[in-house]
Amino acid sequence: MAAVKPKRNYPMMDMTAMCDVAFLLLTFFILTAQFKSQDAATIETPSSISGLVVPDKDVMTISLDKEGKVYFGVDNQVTRQGMLESMASAEGMQFSPAETKAFMLQSNFGVPMNQLKGFLSLPKDQMAAVKQPGIPVDSTAQNDLAKWIYQARKTNNDLRICIKGDNLSKFPKFKDVLNALQAQNINKFYLVTGSEQPPAGWKEDE
Amino acid sequence: MADIQQGGGGGKDGKVRSKKASTRVDMTPMVDLGFLLITFFILATTLSKPKAMTLNVPDKQNKEEQKTDPIKASKVLTLYLGNDNIVHVLDGIAPDDEKAKTEMKDVSFQEVRTAILKSKQRINSQNPKDDKGNEPFVCVIKPLPGSTYKNMVDALDEMKITKTSRYAMVDLLLQADKDLLGDKIKDNDQK
Repeated sequence: MAAVKPKRNYPMMDMTAMCDVAFLLLTFFILTAQFKSQDAATIETPSSISGLVVPDKDVMTISLDKEGKVYFGVDNQVTRQGMLESMASAEGMQFSPAETKAFMLQSNFGVPMNQLKGFLSLPKDQMAAVKQPGIPVDSTAQNDLAKWIYQARKTNNDLRICIKGDNLSKFPKFKDVLNALQAQNINKFYLVTGSEQPPAGWKEDE
Repeated sequence: MADIQQGGGGGKDGKVRSKKASTRVDMTPMVDLGFLLITFFILATTLSKPKAMTLNVPDKQNKEEQKTDPIKASKVLTLYLGNDNIVHVLDGIAPDDEKAKTEMKDVSFQEVRTAILKSKQRINSQNPKDDKGNEPFVCVIKPLPGSTYKNMVDALDEMKITKTSRYAMVDLLLQADKDLLGDKIKDNDQK
């Protein structure tokens, strides 16, 4: 009789179940995914107890960052294209197909009209690095925001307006945006906020 | 690793046994891949959708303004949103009242809810409901240039929390407001 050789038993685990779980979760995440859009500025919104969800299509977003710069964006690429074209013809400007394409890829932008052409002709990697100056709203002489809002609504009349302000942006700047909207008879809009728990015992009535 | 093919080691008699090919597949790389993708999707998505509050502002271009009776100052709580997240509260007193300067209280946003509720209770108990069944309590929010967007949203949120149905956001400052607030109107950040 030979000496009993210890049989090496490698610890073995059945990975099938784990694999199932992994792919189940993966499917869930793929289906619920809504990709973060590349925004021109990071904006920290205040929170409110409001339970109303921001509409997910036909949205025009006016963002207000903490330095008081204003950014403008429309969710649909086709609307963006139409908006740029009608804006260009209204302003007597020309945009090349490449520039239009670059514009369609911007989820929002903060560049005055006279600098837009230069901005759009930048290569993609430089575009992200550029510090955008914000769309002018204050002066009546060059109220680009009002023009953009007008052209965007002309392109797509169903657009709903969301204002997304930063915690630290000052009220007078918001007032400027409000004036641009009210001048066009827009009196109803959404203020984008984070969610917050209502105080204990609070119930919504009606 | 998780491989299970253990060589039989020949066998005693030297008989060659045909090896049975196992159909088991090693799942480890697949699990790795699965979790890698999960990680990617978690990081690339926004799970919590942003919420929104609606804001309706009165029509500016409407020339035929509805004439309403002026509201008595005793039924109005005025909140001036000032610098550094401070709210100047004026409860039931007109800004041109001589008592206004001494009665005006500075509160923070944590305390403003109790101030609103107190004022609401006082005014509603002292005054009857109007003929349409509305509460007599009216809140006026006046954001000053030094206030932030967050202050405004918070104030509107307080209206919802305290269930104040009649409120107005006014940024027009009358001379009486200016006299009352004095230096507080200025935005501290703009030197």
